[in-house]
Amino acid sequence: MDLALSEEQEMLWKSARDFLASKVPKTLVRQMEEDEKGYVPELWKEMADLGWIGLPFPELYGGGGFKFLDLVILLEEMGRACLPGPFLSTVVLGGMPVAEFGTEEQKKAILPKLCKGELIMTMALTEPSAKYEAKAVQVEAKAEGDHYIINGTKLFVNDANVADKMIVVARTAKKQHPEEGITLFLVDRKAPGVKIHLLKTIAGDKQCEVTFEKVKVAKADILGKVDHGWDIVKKVMEWAALAKSAEMQGGAQQVLEMTIQYGKDRVQFDRPIGSFQIIQHYMADMSIDVDSARVSLHKAAWMVSEGIPCRKEIAVIKGWLSEAYRRVTAQSHQIHGAIGFTKDHDLELYFRRAKAAELYFGDADFHREIVAQELGM
Amino acid sequence: MDFRYTAEEEAFRKEVKDFLDKELPPGFLGIDPGPEEESRPEIFDIAVKMWRKFGEKNWIGITWPKEVGGQGGTIWKEMILLQELAYRGSPGMDLAIAQAELITHFGTEEQKKRFVVPITKGEVKWAIGMSEPNAGTDTFAIQLKAVEEADGFVLNGQKIWTSGGHNAKWAMTYCRTDANKYMISVFIVDLKSPGITMRRIEQATGIPAFCEVFFDNVKVPKENLLGKKNGGAEILLFAFGAERTYGLFTIYNAKRYLEQLVQYAKEAKDADGVPVAKNPIARSRLAQLAIDIEVGMNMGHELNWMATKGMPTVKPSAQIKVHGGNLCQRLGNVGQQVLGLYGPLEEDSKWVKLGGRIRHTYISALSFTLAGGTTETSKNHIAGRFGLGLPKQH
Repeated sequence: MDLALSEEQEMLWKSARDFLASKVPKTLVRQMEEDEKGYVPELWKEMADLGWIGLPFPELYGGGGFKFLDLVILLEEMGRACLPGPFLSTVVLGGMPVAEFGTEEQKKAILPKLCKGELIMTMALTEPSAKYEAKAVQVEAKAEGDHYIINGTKLFVNDANVADKMIVVARTAKKQHPEEGITLFLVDRKAPGVKIHLLKTIAGDKQCEVTFEKVKVAKADILGKVDHGWDIVKKVMEWAALAKSAEMQGGAQQVLEMTIQYGKDRVQFDRPIGSFQIIQHYMADMSIDVDSARVSLHKAAWMVSEGIPCRKEIAVIKGWLSEAYRRVTAQSHQIHGAIGFTKDHDLELYFRRAKAAELYFGDADFHREIVAQELGM
Repeated sequence: MDFRYTAEEEAFRKEVKDFLDKELPPGFLGIDPGPEEESRPEIFDIAVKMWRKFGEKNWIGITWPKEVGGQGGTIWKEMILLQELAYRGSPGMDLAIAQAELITHFGTEEQKKRFVVPITKGEVKWAIGMSEPNAGTDTFAIQLKAVEEADGFVLNGQKIWTSGGHNAKWAMTYCRTDANKYMISVFIVDLKSPGITMRRIEQATGIPAFCEVFFDNVKVPKENLLGKKNGGAEILLFAFGAERTYGLFTIYNAKRYLEQLVQYAKEAKDADGVPVAKNPIARSRLAQLAIDIEVGMNMGHELNWMATKGMPTVKPSAQIKVHGGNLCQRLGNVGQQVLGLYGPLEEDSKWVKLGGRIRHTYISALSFTLAGGTTETSKNHIAGRFGLGLPKQH
């Protein structure tokens, strides 16, 4: 057993930390919370040039040929920096399912542009019932000749406002088992009948209502097999939960470091508050949350990279971090006192992001249920 | 990065599992880690047998040098053995192991031969004479005096919370040899020495596992001083720093209980004939325990890897101890909730489920945040200069 990062991974990690520290100041993070697009096109292009957007995709299509563990290392740094923008949506919700399940034509049409930073993507999965479940997929896609017509409303769709292309999860047949009869469609945001409305959220992340009114999609734009799309969605949910966990881990690590520094700097009663036992014990608790999460995250990411089935391990880390990241940020607020409770301070950025991330791709309850299934219950 | 064990390591794990299947009584439900349950006669017999068999297999002190009877083997192999023992809840692995590590590190060649070799054979049991009525977490407040004489030392005073003292031959005993609080000395004491009396103390679990040990002019030969006179602080710090196994024991122990609870939940039915495993509350609580255990096991892998790389392990050892202790207490509580009214039944009661183990561990786990250093002490270590680097507490 060897838990060391490779030299290449160490370099990726360090260069990502340096780049994001200099290019993503917190003023930019706050600006993007209010911004309609939520990302900076110039920065997006720079990340594409660094090979980040293409990182996990085959070199044949312009990607870096890296593995999921490498992507996770990058995502940790993005979480640490509170990087705004459609990176996870494009790479994990859009690019990865195309790379894994697309036809050769689809891969050729989409991946090279995506890797170059010229195509932003997302997946439209959840609906007003607000559940990541097959039976929650009610948006209909009816076959009509050589097309499908999509009708309905998707809700909480990440970055739909800037996505050039969306993978829309729609119901094409009503079967006895809700997981059957679901099909994935590649839909252009600009297609007639598609309407996007940006929601306002706690962390300023771009979630959208997307309505489909008689949206026509060609059969060639079906991703995977008709009526068997949920198999792809399950995989994407795993990748996305793990990717989001990586962002959460990076954020939690940053919060811990900030809090330790504050404990050393802040003086009250003629001593640094980090010398009070209760503050030390709060931070000891936080460090257990953060350090345990990191190794569990890497284990799951390594398993994905090795092609080892890891439904349980992914549920473990997302289930753990959904509560641990929240605990860490809340505890940090308690230690920081009033100064942390202001928008002048960075901490509240992480607190809000922890809540948003907790709910993405399944909260702790959702993942505990997966673990229960994996235990055979 | 690779989270896999090697084929050789997996083969060893299988060897250990097969050995335990063969040597433990059929249907053995397992005991909690530590010598406490050895104070039950039936468990003591198994413990003595297993300890000797570990010796015969050369499994005691896998990482110790061959000159003292070890294998000179890897930390991984040792951890696999300890994981499997904790997971099965096997009695037998004695406190002697940790004491042998101290002797290997601080002892003379003669002491290594005299004490460590018999330990590797599984022939002799040890206790730890550390805590006193006025010296618990404040270890250096010990008062058991050791006065130097011509032919040795004379000990007067007492120890308390000495687990398994009544079953042990030797006790690693921490004594005051100077008025300066931090000047203590460590002696290897023959518990059959004249002047030693013991009183058994019944733990909250109902098992008389503790002893109070009284020393009345007990003579200890000079050859039984470990390390230097007044050099005990270094030994104590080493003991705490090297203690990587406590968290491991609690977490793998919890894994066994969880599996027993999940199996129970699948089989037991509520008044509607629906398995308890389908109850959403039970599912969620058991799943959370599974998550806590999995996360704890991963922490253990990282700790072990850091040890193999010679990296400092004070912080991760302390972290895993805190996590493991808390986890076991939660498990005891969830176990009681899942068993419902069956939870509190004693092991020899009619209608008892799971051999009454949940009743036992619910109480036993109280000690997991106390023994071997309290959770609060562990958190001090995590926060301090060996961990997060926070300023010294006043």
